[in-house]
Amino acid sequence: MTGNGSDKDSTTNKIAVFLCGCRNEISGHVDLERLATELKKDPRILSVSIHEALCSKEGQLFLKKEIKSKGFARVAVGACSPNIQGLIVSRSLEEEGMNKYLFEQVNIREQCAWVHRDKAEATKKATRLVRGAVARVDRQSPLEDIEIPIKPSALVIGGGVTGMQSALDIAGAGFKVYLVERTGELGGRTYKLSMTFPTHNCGICCMQYCKECVFTPKIEDVLQNKNIEVLLETEIEDITGGFGSRGVTLRTPTGKKELEVGTIIVATGSKTFDPKRIPELRYGNPDVITTVELEHLLVAQREKGGGLKRPSDGKAPQTVNFVQCVGSRDKTKGNLHCSLVCCTYAIGQARELKRMNPGADVYIHYIDLRGPYRGFEEFYQSAKEEGINFVRGRVSEVVEDKGKMFVRAVDTDLDTLLSIDSDLVVLAVGQEPADGSDKIAKMLHIQTDIDKFMKDINPMFPSEFRRGIYVAGTAQGPRGVRYSIEDAKAAAASAIELMKKGKKEFPRIVAFVEEDRCRGCGRCEKTCEYEAISIVPNEKKGGLVSKIDEVRCEGCGACAVACCNKAITVNNFRLEQVEAMVRAIVEEAESSE
Amino acid sequence: MSERFEPKVIAFTCTWCGYPSASLAGVNKVEYPPNVNIVRVMCSGSVDPGVIMDSFEHGVDGVIVFGCLIDNCHYVSGNKKAQERIDALKKLFDVMGLDSRRLRTEWINASERVRFAQATKEFVEQLRDLGPLPISRTKKAKPRTKEQTVTAVKQLIEDTGAFDCVECGKCTTVCPVAKYDTNFAPRTIVLRAMEGIVDNIAKDRDIWTCITCEQCNAMCPYKVDYSGFIRGMREEASIFGGAALCSQGGLIHSTQRIMAKADLKQNRLGWVKEDMKVADKGDVFYFTGCLPHYDCIFFDRQGLRMQDISEGAVRIMNKAGIVPVVSNEEKCCGHDLNWTGDEDDFEKLMEHNIELVKKSGAKKVVFTCPECYRTFKSDYQDLSGDLPFGLIHFSDFVKELADSGQLKLQATKSPTFTFSYHDSCRLGRHSGVYDSPRELAKAFSSAKFVEMQNTRDKAVCCAVSAWSNCNANAKKIQIDRVVEAKKVGADRLLMFCPKCQIHLKCAIQDKVPVDPSLVDVKIEDYTVALARLLGLMPEES
Repeated sequence: MTGNGSDKDSTTNKIAVFLCGCRNEISGHVDLERLATELKKDPRILSVSIHEALCSKEGQLFLKKEIKSKGFARVAVGACSPNIQGLIVSRSLEEEGMNKYLFEQVNIREQCAWVHRDKAEATKKATRLVRGAVARVDRQSPLEDIEIPIKPSALVIGGGVTGMQSALDIAGAGFKVYLVERTGELGGRTYKLSMTFPTHNCGICCMQYCKECVFTPKIEDVLQNKNIEVLLETEIEDITGGFGSRGVTLRTPTGKKELEVGTIIVATGSKTFDPKRIPELRYGNPDVITTVELEHLLVAQREKGGGLKRPSDGKAPQTVNFVQCVGSRDKTKGNLHCSLVCCTYAIGQARELKRMNPGADVYIHYIDLRGPYRGFEEFYQSAKEEGINFVRGRVSEVVEDKGKMFVRAVDTDLDTLLSIDSDLVVLAVGQEPADGSDKIAKMLHIQTDIDKFMKDINPMFPSEFRRGIYVAGTAQGPRGVRYSIEDAKAAAASAIELMKKGKKEFPRIVAFVEEDRCRGCGRCEKTCEYEAISIVPNEKKGGLVSKIDEVRCEGCGACAVACCNKAITVNNFRLEQVEAMVRAIVEEAESSE
Repeated sequence: MSERFEPKVIAFTCTWCGYPSASLAGVNKVEYPPNVNIVRVMCSGSVDPGVIMDSFEHGVDGVIVFGCLIDNCHYVSGNKKAQERIDALKKLFDVMGLDSRRLRTEWINASERVRFAQATKEFVEQLRDLGPLPISRTKKAKPRTKEQTVTAVKQLIEDTGAFDCVECGKCTTVCPVAKYDTNFAPRTIVLRAMEGIVDNIAKDRDIWTCITCEQCNAMCPYKVDYSGFIRGMREEASIFGGAALCSQGGLIHSTQRIMAKADLKQNRLGWVKEDMKVADKGDVFYFTGCLPHYDCIFFDRQGLRMQDISEGAVRIMNKAGIVPVVSNEEKCCGHDLNWTGDEDDFEKLMEHNIELVKKSGAKKVVFTCPECYRTFKSDYQDLSGDLPFGLIHFSDFVKELADSGQLKLQATKSPTFTFSYHDSCRLGRHSGVYDSPRELAKAFSSAKFVEMQNTRDKAVCCAVSAWSNCNANAKKIQIDRVVEAKKVGADRLLMFCPKCQIHLKCAIQDKVPVDPSLVDVKIEDYTVALARLLGLMPEES
């Protein structure tokens, strides 16, 4: 396999090379003509063509014309990242009969043209990379996609608005949904809110929990839907299996329950930051509350009537200070990320409070006012007109002195230090991933980002690489109610598309075993994180042999390195293919020295 | 063009975080040196140490691996595995003198484009300081004509006596490989050679399937040097691109070729402890072999500490009042390259080692490793003529010392285990050493020594030669061998060959296709067992 090895898959098929100029983005920084001249010296290469935009319509037609007239089987491309337009390039060739596994695209744009200023150096590097691609595709084997059956049922983890919306959409498309919620009721955090942007004082049909709000899914709809099985007070114990068929073990109040589903929507949601982690804000004081707690007070007050009363003595607060970015944009005691919605909802709460207690002085202390949503600017202007004071400066401390409270703040616009009496301090707390969501992430092998929220998927990849698991809502980062619901709909749509087809053609970038070389030692089985390998008796030759479940295998290659014999390798990432690429790169570097 | 050294760097980037961070650097036009060539892999955990070593062998100056943040691998734990492997590879690099600073790992989030550029910049700067590696580049072999090969094969047939083969088939009946691989037969390869194997020489797999144990040589009534024939055929085949299927992704052979092609500042003597006496010059040269490398390569195998062997040997020699020469400049004896057809590199290693021993003034070279012993005794002398120093295997040497009274073989303990001795083929059939290990077994006094059914020149090989062609059949042969030991009641099986130890341990360590109690035997090195018996080394914890 190494040494001077001639691989049995290396054929005499000629290779067609396409170089994309990317409308000067590449051709302006890399001398493609020169690259082409160098490459043409390689006897394995049939032709080298340069085009300014392979991903464009003309580019696609050009490719089709090339393959039809020249009839090559293998293609190497030097262009942008293969994960972006590479699919378009390969697809148009696939449509004309090329086996997509005999295709290799290297990045000479983001990883070459755009990062190396010296044109001569960039050209040399591009030559190396394309040579590497040629050497690699020369050793690639033609393969067929795997056909994976998808079960027509879905698991939705989390019964908040995101989970409910996904469940409704999937059920509406005719598939069975298991909606799992660990608390005793649906609705999640949204249903504890008194209002959602941009409504803040609709009062008309606002039956405490905004159930009639057009944006939110209704609990009754979910409970009455025949296709949705709601499992409350239920936790997920384990999820096994692979793409299209996941075995779920649940812990319900009445015992264990096992299910098999085809797709999973992860809507585990978020929780708010615990202000106790910033002791100088004195959260222990009864009149220092979070915006979530303020919501409860607002709801309670609407029922009772009259103005808002503060928790400690039931008096109406004269001065209210909203502290923004509590636990957010904070490297030391909180999280670095901005939670997106706090500015918006704080202004809403401030306006509502002002409406209830017109005599109160309301201050909002902010660093920046971030309002990503449509209608925010108007909302903010109205707030100012209603007399709410906006102070640009971060609150450093809430001070308690002789039974009174005041807020140490600063107005950076006026360059003034402020000390404002406060009857009520409201902390606008940021969002964090919900408790236990990391456990679900681990179970489903979902990566988390630096901010600890789940990464749905690398956005550069086609959706099939999610393998039927979709993250929606605040589980993948702070967002508002409306956007969580839209997220839910998008995830549901993807899941429905998958289940409707009943099967999915999936790239065969998975491990395979050369049975003759396999010793049945089991190191691969131990290494696999997806339980995709099992050691079974070898019927034909006796002894033990390794067997791969292609559906569960994610193609990571850990087994290939663990196997000391290299009896296991990953299709298209075999040792000799990677080595060929490296050797070609080095050879080219040396010949141009 | 600038005279500055421009290092060639390969950056293995994982598909999920490494590669996108590089692309993002591009999107943001964050510049970094063009020396860095990006090769995309699925996971950093799939980067094989064999590929890395192969890169260096072919001219790469530095390898950097980019993967996801350490607790956030897209494939759960790939990056952690990569970190472990590269840490072990770094140790090997330091032993070899390649310098571990030429390897770097960087765990990065897909969005950290500045870090990507920064890491590559720093790495290239560091490599510039380290300079290029003095590994001589492989010149492409002179193209051979078919006639030349036919002549060479004809000569080979004559030299090895293959011409005398009467096709009796006795070789095939004793061949351990033929027992399980019904497609393989020593007899037919000779036949094919005489009938014109040359046409297909590069693709012929049978010449690589042979484990060169010389069981056939020993039994052949016409004294055909069958293993010599195989060795010669492999040399011819490799000219045309034929190659062995190597284990460890070719890591070990790459390591050996690098040693052959470069004079690096090695660091091999980490196993020499303070209370051991060794010298630069002297009468006795102890040839260590590849033991320091194996401990780096097999870092994840439990119970494998190959450097115990060299330690045990020196301690026993010290006890006999001998201060052996131990050299940091030693290179691999070349056994594996010799047996897989790479004659050029083998000869380079041979010349180096012979010169090294000469310079030390040694009159005698002692080997614990049977392969090193056979290589010096037979292969070096075949090519270079009689060597100006004596060659002796450790077992014979210790026997001499014991007989002359210089070494008192007094056991400091009374072992009660039952043990047997495995005749490694390179020591037994290849070199004729059978008796001393058995004589020395008497020193184990209270322990019981038993012989297996197949011993001496009928001993069964450990089934893998020169790290190539290990497969399911090899495992069956290995299991059979250990079962043999268990059958005669042995708790332990002692041997001198480090490779036999590695292979037999490997076979019984993980899943086995038989009842595990049938292979419940402790595989142990003879030198180490002897050192422990004499109280010179502690028992295994």
